[in-house]
Amino acid sequence: MQFEDNYMWVLILTGLAFVVPASILSFRVVLSAVGVRLTYRVQRAMDGYFYISTWIVGFMIFLAWPLFQSLYVSFHNVKITSSELKLTFIGWENYAEPFLEDIHFLPLFTKTVANLLTDLPIILVFSLFVSILVVQDLPGRGVFRMLLFMPVVIGSAIVIRRLFGEGVSTEAIGVSVQTLSEVVFTYLQGTIADWVLDLVNRVTLVLWRTGVQILIFVAGLHSIPLTMREAAKTDGASGWQIFWRITLPMLSPVILVNVVYTIVDSFTDNFNEVLTYIQTVGLTRDFRLGYAAALGWMYFASIFLFMALALVISSRFVFYAGER
Amino acid sequence: MAESVFVIRQRQGVLGALTSRKWWENVFLRLATYIILINVCFVFLFPVIYMFSTSLKTVADLADLTVLWIPRTFFWRNYELAISGMLYWQAARNSVIISLGSGILQTVACSFVAYGFARIPFPGRDVLFLLVLFTFLVPPQTIIVPLFILYRNLGFMDTYFPFLIPALFGHGLRGALFILVFRQFFRNLPYELEDAARIDGAGPFSVYWRIMLPLAAPAIIVVFLFSLVWHWNDFFEPTIYLFDQNNFTLPLRLSILSAALLQMLAGQGAGDEFNEAVIMAASFLVVMPPLVVYLFTQRYFVESVDRTGLVE
Repeated sequence: MQFEDNYMWVLILTGLAFVVPASILSFRVVLSAVGVRLTYRVQRAMDGYFYISTWIVGFMIFLAWPLFQSLYVSFHNVKITSSELKLTFIGWENYAEPFLEDIHFLPLFTKTVANLLTDLPIILVFSLFVSILVVQDLPGRGVFRMLLFMPVVIGSAIVIRRLFGEGVSTEAIGVSVQTLSEVVFTYLQGTIADWVLDLVNRVTLVLWRTGVQILIFVAGLHSIPLTMREAAKTDGASGWQIFWRITLPMLSPVILVNVVYTIVDSFTDNFNEVLTYIQTVGLTRDFRLGYAAALGWMYFASIFLFMALALVISSRFVFYAGER
Repeated sequence: MAESVFVIRQRQGVLGALTSRKWWENVFLRLATYIILINVCFVFLFPVIYMFSTSLKTVADLADLTVLWIPRTFFWRNYELAISGMLYWQAARNSVIISLGSGILQTVACSFVAYGFARIPFPGRDVLFLLVLFTFLVPPQTIIVPLFILYRNLGFMDTYFPFLIPALFGHGLRGALFILVFRQFFRNLPYELEDAARIDGAGPFSVYWRIMLPLAAPAIIVVFLFSLVWHWNDFFEPTIYLFDQNNFTLPLRLSILSAALLQMLAGQGAGDEFNEAVIMAASFLVVMPPLVVYLFTQRYFVESVDRTGLVE
């Protein structure tokens, strides 16, 4: 590792992280020393920017500028020569290509979306169910909780993904793929049968992605005041009614958080096939940076649309206890 | 008279049956809960157990169908091979530097930024916070090429700075999520604490550093552990920024393990064999450190999750 080449930039960037907030603070000190009287609101505003200025600078350097550059590149054809990148403007061609020429991108994309739509309910129901079980006052619940949060720690590891790639997943739920596919094909037709088999193949992997969701649900369940449940019980509500009338509405903001997290997680997951494809096109096989950037932008836009859709739909069902 | 005694007895009988039915229901529910939970935990534990058991098998055990879980002999040689094949200690050192460094920087920076978002009213705060959430949605692949070019121009290739510098600014791997966690935590703290500190003459920085941060221990534990673990397991960014194999992190080493071992063993002649068991041993060595950290901190971690007010 060579330090000599880059120490200057390291120092500059590290300095920037400290100098920017420090300058805001000292500006305030100087103003008051000179005798300028600031109103309370202006003072607080300066305090606020003192805290988030570092983040704003980082946003400009590490997000906004790269994002703009990739947008710029996506309208160009990029030629990589030995010393520099050569850009030629080609308009919307890169954006039209997945619809007109590329036969790989759209199927991968629809597959990702379809997977998400099947996985999302499974993940939500499963994690809600498990977290309801585990917040009960059971002896030994500490051990269960410890094990349930474990996927958070190692679930994202490439190791685990590879294991599942080798068919360990179906072994874990005790199903032999052979017998299962026979059964499935006897009772179901082609496409549906494929879908069911695919789901069974993935189901353990899907369950492995529930770590964070369980964690959020557990925290959410703890934040529901006990008094509500007790009042309902006194009025003669059964456990079933309590769940539907109290727990679920009180939990609805948390469910929304989990929906959003699951969508983001599965769209930005590094093992996501669309992302791997974009990487192959841009960085490892074809080096078509412009096309990869266009694909990346289209993908990003669709995530954004999805999220907006999820928020709009769910806002009708979410209940905020604080608001009246 | 006799009749009423009979009625009472019958009632008692009915009552007794009722209570016992309730009792049985309870027992049944408990039992069902335990069975389900044990099943779920088994699904989560299975790959780890599988990994560990396979990692101790000899070639003969691997081929033998009667050896399911417990190998005939515990073949620790697999671990020696994995350690030398991955250059384990060197790669572990790299992984530790990246994950510990980014973990600490991210925890401090994100809590700092989140404090501003959570507690201080300033114009444009809501819009800026929407921007924070927006950064969470951007897939790393969309901006990786410009970032790559940026870091290359700065001379950061094959160094740890592409991981550390964004972390310093509260960005980096899932920085937005960490800001969100800290913000939710800070929002639930009482305002009186800050007011008292400010009246006593504390400046904006010392309010954060001396009052709020010490109170945020639960959130710090959660964020630090997450950041540590996600950086440890991260595969995408290290593949982009690290070329020299001496700088490789553990997941990268694991991905080139088979090639490295074949090359290493080719020179030695017979004796050792490269196989599935070695790969499993190596995999286990890669996931073990975060697992150990988790086992030691899980008590605080589980408690913290309850107290973070992660969701409010």
